[in-house]
Amino acid sequence: MTAGVVGRARGLILPLALVVLWQALASIRGIESDTLAAPVQIVGALGDALVNAEFWIATRDTVLSAALGLALGGVLGAMTGLVFGLVPPVSRLMRVPVEVLRPVPAIALVPIAILIFGFGYALEVAIVAFAVFFPVLILIEAAVRGVEPRLTEVARLLRLSPGARIAKIVVPAVLPRAFVALRLAAGLALVVAITVEIAANPMGLGARMILAAQSLRAPDMFATLIWVAVLGWAINAGLVRAQAALFPDAQRPR
Amino acid sequence: MTTVQAARGPETPIMAIAGASVSFGAARVLDGIDLELRRGEFVCVVGPSGSGKTTLLRLLSGLQPATTGTVFHQGTVQNGPARGVAIVFQDYAHALLPWRTAAGNVSLALEAAGLPRAQRADRIAALLATVGLAAHADHFPAQMSGGMQQRLQIARCLAQDPDVLLMDEPFGALDAMTRQKLQDEILRIVAASGVTAFFVTHDLEEAIYLGDRVVALEPNPGRVGAIFDVPLPRPRTQLSTREHPEFLRLRRDLFDFIQQFEP
Amino acid sequence: MIGVPRSVLWFLGSCLVLVAGLGLWQVLADSGAIPRAFFPGPDRVWTALHRGFSSGAMIGETLTTVRRMALGWALASVIGVGLGALVGLSPWMRTYVAPTFEGLRPIPASALAPLAVLAFGLSDGMILALIAFGAVWPMLLTTVHGVASVHPRKAEVARLLGLSRLAYAWKIALPAATPDILGGLRLGLTVALILAVVGEMITVQGGLGARIMIAARRFNAADIFAGVALLGAIGLLTNAALSQIEARLLRWTHR
Repeated sequence: MTAGVVGRARGLILPLALVVLWQALASIRGIESDTLAAPVQIVGALGDALVNAEFWIATRDTVLSAALGLALGGVLGAMTGLVFGLVPPVSRLMRVPVEVLRPVPAIALVPIAILIFGFGYALEVAIVAFAVFFPVLILIEAAVRGVEPRLTEVARLLRLSPGARIAKIVVPAVLPRAFVALRLAAGLALVVAITVEIAANPMGLGARMILAAQSLRAPDMFATLIWVAVLGWAINAGLVRAQAALFPDAQRPR
Repeated sequence: MTTVQAARGPETPIMAIAGASVSFGAARVLDGIDLELRRGEFVCVVGPSGSGKTTLLRLLSGLQPATTGTVFHQGTVQNGPARGVAIVFQDYAHALLPWRTAAGNVSLALEAAGLPRAQRADRIAALLATVGLAAHADHFPAQMSGGMQQRLQIARCLAQDPDVLLMDEPFGALDAMTRQKLQDEILRIVAASGVTAFFVTHDLEEAIYLGDRVVALEPNPGRVGAIFDVPLPRPRTQLSTREHPEFLRLRRDLFDFIQQFEP
Repeated sequence: MIGVPRSVLWFLGSCLVLVAGLGLWQVLADSGAIPRAFFPGPDRVWTALHRGFSSGAMIGETLTTVRRMALGWALASVIGVGLGALVGLSPWMRTYVAPTFEGLRPIPASALAPLAVLAFGLSDGMILALIAFGAVWPMLLTTVHGVASVHPRKAEVARLLGLSRLAYAWKIALPAATPDILGGLRLGLTVALILAVVGEMITVQGGLGARIMIAARRFNAADIFAGVALLGAIGLLTNAALSQIEARLLRWTHR
């Protein structure tokens, strides 16, 4: 335990030293650049932002779009993955269409989505859903395939109906791996939501960052960037804990 | 192959351990070990679990430093791995490089020794032929059976041109038939190269069948309990050697020795 | 049909499904069931592609995007694998430097776009820097992991043979980490394409990303779909090329 704490403390030395050095350089020489901001300025900007209603609206917009997109794409992907996993011929027949659509970068669909939905939530939710759909589909299909054959035999011996077989055997067996898929997809959803905002959609934290950058407000840009990172860490950490609580037997995530 | 050291003479032990102990933290694994390996002999080590067989082998290899005491190689103090001492590990799958072919794995030892590229091919071919893998030079380890992979590891060790060959339960993971075949192979290879062999095993019969001497360790902490001379004639054969009255007597003695430490 | 492997039949069947899907799209577009302004039929997308290629403009845009993606990816590979090997091989660097990398990992690569804009302005250099900086992380982290998790037995073999540190890195650690490194390169390739598009959308400095953004402003759906199809093709082909290289480099893992 102590060794772990010491190990972590050692890992903190480099970033802390860099921040101190950065601040020292900024204080001594004075920052003339539009690109960089001193750590003190950034912390100040973050402090200002955290008491600013618009900042929280931006945060809500980003998180809500990511969550809705995750829900939509995740449910569709999981259901498709379930069907693909349970009925191999369907999976084999859909192989080529899936492999052709999968490499399309979700962000490239933004212009189409703008035509259809205009700017706003719908645009972002649609892109996030598309981005999340394929990874979830593939992970769930693999998880269904990986269900212990012995369990399927048990289901057959018990003469369970197909519906009961899915509800009582497949879904519970797949659940731990489905949660891993959810965790990965949640991280992806946040990234895609912010990317859409940076590239086009004038709302949320992404738009805030790109606006700050274009109007040369470096402290604001860095403050928002740090906030985005904190959100990413918090979501991942929360899901890791939830996973450990819900599926204590499942393999620990790396 | 054998280098006769005029200065020290053939009577100097090739390796010697003097009053050595090894501790991991508070746990003493080996205690007060004194042991000499004579030039060209085949020494086997047996002992119940916890007697530090593998630690003893690693001590000789230089991978494991002695906590107290000294290890000598060729009459000088040994402070770490030396190219003259080779190890055949039990877990051949981890000891071989899976991305190199059989020839490439042997080549690694030659590259480490700085042998010019032009001279490697002949050496590799000869070494692979020695262990019976001439036809598999281009195969990757994953394409070979366990027995073949272990032969390959032996070939790589021979490529080091060692004067001492340490083997850590090398045939422990192999099936009985392959095991017997490799026992005869290793006897032939050791005899042909004149190398000194140090062979750790948990199989008492294997120890008697292969060894000139069998060192029996006692556990907690590991000490040399007894050393048995094996006066069985060579060459040895699987059927007649194992039926030899001396073989049966030694087996009985060793069994009795080990038995006292089993719960 | 005797002699044709089943997998080939399934593949052909699957191709038919794709063709049927395109056909359905065409029928729906022609019947007006879906708005043509948003979903032009495959015929109009094909026409847009054909027009774009015969004028030469689209070839240029495609090459621009591919060039940026390849350059940024190559830069990221060199830095990521090189630095990753250095950190992974040194216990000191693993203790003091690696946690910083791990801590930076959750920052979305695209979130660095505003930073790149600040540093480089809306320029070609900004796109390249964005791609290189974003794609470097997966490569760096997988290389550190791969190089640091070489089985200790192999390190012992290296010690026994008297290999130098450099020889250990070159002959044992890096080959052993190849599967991990290739995984990182593959992830980096996906990231590189995404960031090329994002960068082009923001800066509008040529390339397919800029082209589809401009097409959107002109409400030219056929042109957008043509650009998206090309981006998908780039993703598909670069991934397939990497798979070929991977299969060759990882021959030894197959029995």
